[in-house]
Amino acid sequence: MFLIIGFRTTVEGVLLACLKLRQLPDAHLMYAEGLEELRRMIDFAGVERDIELVGFEPAPITDLAESAFGKHWDRHVSFSRRKEPDPIHYIDLVLRHANCEPSELVRTLSSSENVTSLYSGKTQLQKRCYRYMREVSLSYHRLCMFARPSFVKGILTADIKPEHRIEDMFCRWLAKKNPDLPVAVVHGDKAWIGNGDFFGLDRFVVVTPSFLGDLAAIKISDEVEQLWDVYYDSQMIDSRRNKKQAKKFQPKAASSVSGMSMKDRYKVERGISPCKLGDFFEM
Amino acid sequence: MRYLASGTKYDSCNQSAVCHAFAPDGRCIQLYKTLLTNYCSGECTYCPNRCERDTPRVSLSPEEIVKITWSFYRRNAIEGLFLSSGVIGDAENTSEKQLEVARKLRAQGFQGYIHMRLMPGTPKYLLEEIADVANKFGVNAETTSSINYSEVCPNFDYSNDVLQRLKWTKELIIEKRKEVGYGGRIIGANDTQFVVGAASESDREIVRTVDKFMDKYDLRRPYFMSFDPVPDTPLEHNAPSPQWREVRLYQTSYLLKDYGLKAKDLDEIYTDTGFLKDRDPKILLAQCNPEMFPIDVNNASLQELLLVPGIGPVSASRIIQARPFNCEQELARMGVVITRARPYIKIKGRCQTNLSAFMEACS
Repeated sequence: MFLIIGFRTTVEGVLLACLKLRQLPDAHLMYAEGLEELRRMIDFAGVERDIELVGFEPAPITDLAESAFGKHWDRHVSFSRRKEPDPIHYIDLVLRHANCEPSELVRTLSSSENVTSLYSGKTQLQKRCYRYMREVSLSYHRLCMFARPSFVKGILTADIKPEHRIEDMFCRWLAKKNPDLPVAVVHGDKAWIGNGDFFGLDRFVVVTPSFLGDLAAIKISDEVEQLWDVYYDSQMIDSRRNKKQAKKFQPKAASSVSGMSMKDRYKVERGISPCKLGDFFEM
Repeated sequence: MRYLASGTKYDSCNQSAVCHAFAPDGRCIQLYKTLLTNYCSGECTYCPNRCERDTPRVSLSPEEIVKITWSFYRRNAIEGLFLSSGVIGDAENTSEKQLEVARKLRAQGFQGYIHMRLMPGTPKYLLEEIADVANKFGVNAETTSSINYSEVCPNFDYSNDVLQRLKWTKELIIEKRKEVGYGGRIIGANDTQFVVGAASESDREIVRTVDKFMDKYDLRRPYFMSFDPVPDTPLEHNAPSPQWREVRLYQTSYLLKDYGLKAKDLDEIYTDTGFLKDRDPKILLAQCNPEMFPIDVNNASLQELLLVPGIGPVSASRIIQARPFNCEQELARMGVVITRARPYIKIKGRCQTNLSAFMEACS
């Protein structure tokens, strides 16, 4: 039988499509974020073959992961001391990648005989998925390290421009780090609010930045940036700088995450100027 | 703040940016590293804060440190505090002040990382209290033996003030880890720091001491701080330790920590006087044992793979999982640095031709 598997681009959808593809290895794959979108695509393509839709109904993820990767799917895969994410988290991270092609991911998963081949696959496709997972993970880690939220009307707000779809992950991380404050992560015309219960909202909600502006709260002054410069500059011994190592810690790719990290990167590249405008006036 | 933060820059390992640590999820985190005070009753010969040195003396109150830490933490500039200090009178008094900072932070709901650098001679009861609030705590060994220690830190006793404390911290770490269990508060492993080049110890001695500490005190990671002569100290005219020495010592310590080697396995890589050369110790070790190579990546054990330059613990475990391999590209996908590994490996009977093999074939 010639079939099309239509799946939703969620972890459940991908796992269900993977299981289906193992039963029907010749099937074609189509995907969408919602059922309506998929139906439109099917109509547009004028497909008249059998179509199996999966992932549009809630399904137990752990059971699906067990069916796909066996009983020990959740056993920690670690190479040396680097602990890798479990397959569910792995799929979630790959799906967040800007270049992710979900049907490629489904094919990779369906051809992975065991869990470890997801992390140490020899084929190009397996390697690409692994690379996507690492890139998203790295991008998230960089945000956690280099984003510098500031207080906007009493809300700890970070304005970010991540290359992958990780805004909600970062918002959750920021909310966990500051459980006693409302936090917001703004990207373009969307804002993610964490610890929203301070405003009588859900714990995590997605709103527009204009809505964020309506949330009145106290204004907290912020003079930390200057203090940080004093601290950062005091830590350096110019003659002993390990520039190569410093560049690794303060990568160029992360310098655009915030103004403070851009300044720190500048100091890594150019050194810390011993002469400042203030010194001129003190003379 | 500037004085006290800059007081810590001399023990900033591998001068790169501000002090870093690694979170359990693998993320690199920045720390606010400061001294509580640079008043010190110690006379350590290399230290910029030694009591006899004429330098501006300042202190921050626990409240001030708490305030600065919170400010940086909220802006996400740091994820923790690294607190050290000069010795104010005695170790007990100093540790009490350090403890006060950590307690205040925790009482205000601070969930970040706290690393406490303990004073030599800190009493056991205070160590126990520090272990309740800090994520990591350790005492600096500074050097390799009592004789060297009495030379550089004349006010303290190596076996009692340092080794005894290392033993206690090891016991406390085991106890606290059992208490908090998996998923609880992070309790970092025992750590210590060596000042490289202040005393006359060789690299061989340092590596052997590190190995001994790993066995005896569960030392996870040693830190090395290159000696840099500070004006107006007894060692001001000594030559600074070259920066590469610190880097090579770190690389050698990783061979002990992550590659399962022992100090005696590394005897061949030192110069006659027991110092490391300015070359990658793993490559030197491989070159000193040519009879072991090339190894067949499809049959070699994990230990054998770990000896190959360009193959680290992560890629070695991956190779074991994903064997057999047919070509170098597949190995490269496992994270192997092929240009380094090529002379030392064999894939499906094929290996790089070297001069001796070429000569053999010609004859």
